[in-house]
Amino acid sequence: MESTERLVRTWMASGRDEEVRETASEIANGKTTLLNVVKALGEYLTSEEDGVRTKGVEFLSSVLKLCPPEKLNRQSARVLAKFYCSKLEDFDTIIPALKGLDTLTALPSFTEEDVLDTVNAIFKHVRMKALAQNNRFLVFTIIDTLMARHRDVMKNMNDSFISQYVVLAEGEKDPRNLLVAFAIARVVLIEFDIADFVESLHDIVFCYFPIMFRPPPNDPYGITTEELRLALRRCLCATPLFGPLTLPGFLEKLIAGSPAVKQDTLETMSECFPVYGSALAQSNARKLWNALKLEIFQPTDPVTEAKALTTTQDLVKTIYSDNSDGQAEDQEIEGLAKDVCEECITILREPDKSQAKSAIKVLCAFTSTTPAISRYTLSQTVPHLIGLFTRPDDTSSRPSVLLLLSDLISAARDDCMEKAEGSEVALTPYKDELLGILSSGLKTPSSRQPTLACLLGLVSTKNLLSVEEIGFIVHNINEILESDPQDIDDSSSPIIKLLSSITALSPHHIREQTLPLLFGSLPDRAPERNAAADRVKLWRTLSALSTLCTEPELFETFVIRLLTKLDLLCFPAMADADKEPAAAYAHSILTTIYQTVLAKAEDGHADVPKYIESLVPRLFHLFIYSAFAFDNDSVANDPKLVATGGHIITVIVRSLTQQRQESYESDLFSAYMDGNFKNITEGQQKIPPSISFRPFGNSTTPAQRNIVSLFSAAIIGLRKEVKLPVSDTSVFLTDMLDWSLSKADNDLQRTAVWQAISSISNKRAEDALTFLQANLEAFWSNKIVDHSLSSETREHAVKGWIWISKALVVSNHTMSSSYTERLFEVFSDESINWVAAKGFGDIVSTNDILTKQNHAIIKLLYAQKFVTKLLPRIVDGAKDSSKPQEQVAHLVALTSLISSAPKALYSHKMSELIPLLIRGLDLPENAIRVKVIDTFLAVAEGGSPDKSLVSEHAPSLVNTMLKNSLLQEMPSVKVRISALKYLGVIPDIVRSDVLLPLKVHVIKELDKALDDPKRLVRKEAVDARTSWFKLGG
Amino acid sequence: MPGEVFNPNPTIFRTEKPSSSRLAQKRSLWIDEEENTDIDEDNDDVEAIDQDEVFDLIRYISDPEHPNTLEELRVVSAPQITISGNLIKVEFTPTVPHCGMSTVIGLSIRVRLLRSLPSRFKVDIVVKPGSHQSEHAVNKQLNDKERVAAALENPLLVKTLEGSLEETNRRGRTD
Repeated sequence: MESTERLVRTWMASGRDEEVRETASEIANGKTTLLNVVKALGEYLTSEEDGVRTKGVEFLSSVLKLCPPEKLNRQSARVLAKFYCSKLEDFDTIIPALKGLDTLTALPSFTEEDVLDTVNAIFKHVRMKALAQNNRFLVFTIIDTLMARHRDVMKNMNDSFISQYVVLAEGEKDPRNLLVAFAIARVVLIEFDIADFVESLHDIVFCYFPIMFRPPPNDPYGITTEELRLALRRCLCATPLFGPLTLPGFLEKLIAGSPAVKQDTLETMSECFPVYGSALAQSNARKLWNALKLEIFQPTDPVTEAKALTTTQDLVKTIYSDNSDGQAEDQEIEGLAKDVCEECITILREPDKSQAKSAIKVLCAFTSTTPAISRYTLSQTVPHLIGLFTRPDDTSSRPSVLLLLSDLISAARDDCMEKAEGSEVALTPYKDELLGILSSGLKTPSSRQPTLACLLGLVSTKNLLSVEEIGFIVHNINEILESDPQDIDDSSSPIIKLLSSITALSPHHIREQTLPLLFGSLPDRAPERNAAADRVKLWRTLSALSTLCTEPELFETFVIRLLTKLDLLCFPAMADADKEPAAAYAHSILTTIYQTVLAKAEDGHADVPKYIESLVPRLFHLFIYSAFAFDNDSVANDPKLVATGGHIITVIVRSLTQQRQESYESDLFSAYMDGNFKNITEGQQKIPPSISFRPFGNSTTPAQRNIVSLFSAAIIGLRKEVKLPVSDTSVFLTDMLDWSLSKADNDLQRTAVWQAISSISNKRAEDALTFLQANLEAFWSNKIVDHSLSSETREHAVKGWIWISKALVVSNHTMSSSYTERLFEVFSDESINWVAAKGFGDIVSTNDILTKQNHAIIKLLYAQKFVTKLLPRIVDGAKDSSKPQEQVAHLVALTSLISSAPKALYSHKMSELIPLLIRGLDLPENAIRVKVIDTFLAVAEGGSPDKSLVSEHAPSLVNTMLKNSLLQEMPSVKVRISALKYLGVIPDIVRSDVLLPLKVHVIKELDKALDDPKRLVRKEAVDARTSWFKLGG
Repeated sequence: MPGEVFNPNPTIFRTEKPSSSRLAQKRSLWIDEEENTDIDEDNDDVEAIDQDEVFDLIRYISDPEHPNTLEELRVVSAPQITISGNLIKVEFTPTVPHCGMSTVIGLSIRVRLLRSLPSRFKVDIVVKPGSHQSEHAVNKQLNDKERVAAALENPLLVKTLEGSLEETNRRGRTD
């Protein structure tokens, strides 16, 4: 007791938190009691001085807050409650008393008996207008707590509670308090008997609608507009009694409001309709529809329009909710739905006009309301549109009619999707007539597009069309493909989309009817060099086939037909004088196969692996026969074709199981190392067994060496568990690397070998350890540093080096840093420093070889580690002007690294990097400049003037970009385009006050770019100039 | 919202896909070079500004009354643009003869071309003969430098124009 008194005295003098904590902990330890505290406070609580009384109660409340709840028994809670209620009478102690009540009411020992007194005391003594916002918050919180814990007491009070609470809550403006007030109001509205108070409750709720609150910056409570909106909405839709009062208010806000208010009103109405009930909606239907109609037919913006449509749906659903069970199926639809349908159908009589689009949107919205309304709408609209189509006097509006019809069909389909399986399909009664007009619509070119959209809608509706009907559609489409081959150009994409959605449903129609047609239209010989139109048609046919033939059974046919075509092209009876068109045609066929296989592999089709038995041997056969046995120079010897063939092989090999890969690999190695090519080839042309198949051998032609790339292609896709069928992997890799420098004579051969080496070094580093270690000494000094070699050989050696480094960096191998470290050593070597420097970007950039699909070992965050480790060093090097040669190399390395690395890895260093990057724009190589500008563009993405990374450099950036965008100073089209793109972005990412002084100059300079000889450059110039015109309003 | 709506229910026309004709003129034999042929570094050909390009600049200007583009309402079309030397003539067709928005539409075309064509061009903008009841007055206003400049001093009008020009950068993007 003594210590308590001491603490109280100290606190009265100091007001420190320490005494509060100490007192509370003493109570917790049982050394003293709350009662003692009250006793000790005695004189202060009754003091004549206002300030002292305030402090006295304040101390008690603060201690109470920290007290463990179990220390407060029923009795003391009761005493305290009474005490605090009495303190509410005293103006100077209201605030601390409220704080005390705030704590007390939440305690378990505060029971129902205290509630009534407390509530009444608050109503009687608290004058909200005299209190500050945070103290009003206490009042609301107390009532909210009581509402949560002792609701029945207040429900018994009913009338007296509501009438007094309304007075209390009236005029509240603080958003945080309102959130609590709305929560209380919702409980009252739902659970209390409010019949006599509807109007006054409505007044304290609806006056806040719509919420226009904008959260101030740095709002400590973080209340959002959306929170308030939702809380208020929950009040407005809490009781049907509000209906007659709020509906007129809603309509008023809807007509006069801003788009945000309109949207809020529409959403609120949607939620309120079902609560307010069918009768009210019905009696106000006309008024509501007139207001909604305005938002749909003369929309302020698409969002509001969409919301208005949803609200219309909800209105209709509410009105007709009573007879949605299907009993009223045969009843005539009366009222709003009928009126609106008729109104919209009248508008549809002019299908070309803009309002027809809005009308069809309303009708589409009706299809997903109640089943009865949906049926009714379709029964009115579909025959009407069919009638419009068949009007003999007006065929010019047919495309528009079909377009409207396609919207309706999609809407009916989407509605079907939501329903249970097996329910009737709404469009079934009309499908015969629809198919009739659609087949005639297909025949007219102008109405073909919308017809296809309709058909797509029908085909994608489940359980609507029979197999025969789908056959009929396919038949009709084939007729177009046949009769108007020119026309395919325009409509190919929707036609193919339609056909490919049919392939999923009934592939045999496509296989039997469409595919022969498409394959038949592929010529056996390549179009002449100048027959561009034929070539485009051919490509379109191929791309159509590629889209259609992903299904397993279609794909098989596809592969067989295209391989036959390839044979014809590669081994013609009589070769053309000009081989390039044939090579290009063959290449486009191979590319098509590749794209299709790739798409199948990505979709996880199970039939991909089996093509190791058919497609892959055929490809090997084709290329090996061409290079080793065919007398003439076959078009298949073209490196581009071989490369594409390799891509196909990679995709198929990587899809194999480990076992199949192992057996395949032993065949492959036996072919390439020992000449047993029989096991990996299969084809019509006979390869004489006498030929010597030694692609790695000494006496080979370039075409024969190209075949090495197919070998690599198969290796790249191997799983990491698969061991190479060689006695020593390191020896094998060393030989390959040697071959790439000594015998390979084009980029295809070299790159293919490096990729294979890289892939193996990545996946089987253990086997390759000797190779990797030996390189660091022997290969480095003999092939790269050795100045006696030609600089070309040395460049190639560096590139090979970079591929190995990449393999190690990606897998975080311990040796990776030794490899990358070496690259810095040649920065002073004029003949190879640029190649080495550019390698830093290649090492970190993603590529097609070391990928998850190819089973490469890719460690998380490898790029981050690499960049974090090397960036500071490269930046320092780029700044160091003591050795100009090395400085430039560092700069090249920097641009290459940055442009390949993800933005997040360097954006925090941007202020340091920008001056260097700007210098990068002075490097004489255009490809580097493009990369630098693209880096700037990447950094700009998602930027805003407030947090611009480039603001302080804006003037010099603008000038550099201008220089790079004008023909007189920059011959490269790509650089000009990129520079102009960046100029166009600058106004979005830099504050306007920085840019305004430059505006006149930029606009004047860009005028020259508007006259650029290249169309694409002009396009960017126009966009850039437009964004500068907008600058500064 | 402007008080009077001059044409509450205009006809909407279907639009062509943006400049697909040029794509077919591709010269390359190889399928995978499709995307890159447009940017051909060695090619020194001058691609002159033509009808289609000017049309591309103005087709996506939005109508001040409707959420549609001038192309959709057939207010402008490629054949209504002629280029001879440094003179460009753009003709446009108001949707109704009493359209009070014609001057605004003309001005938005004027501003768009002022910003997007090199200054060597002289641009004439006229209403299609016979399509507007005060054709002469509109034409005069649109081609009078002083009056155009004066109109562009009006901040409210400039705001309307900027609104109409918002979507114009869509041009040429095939989506």
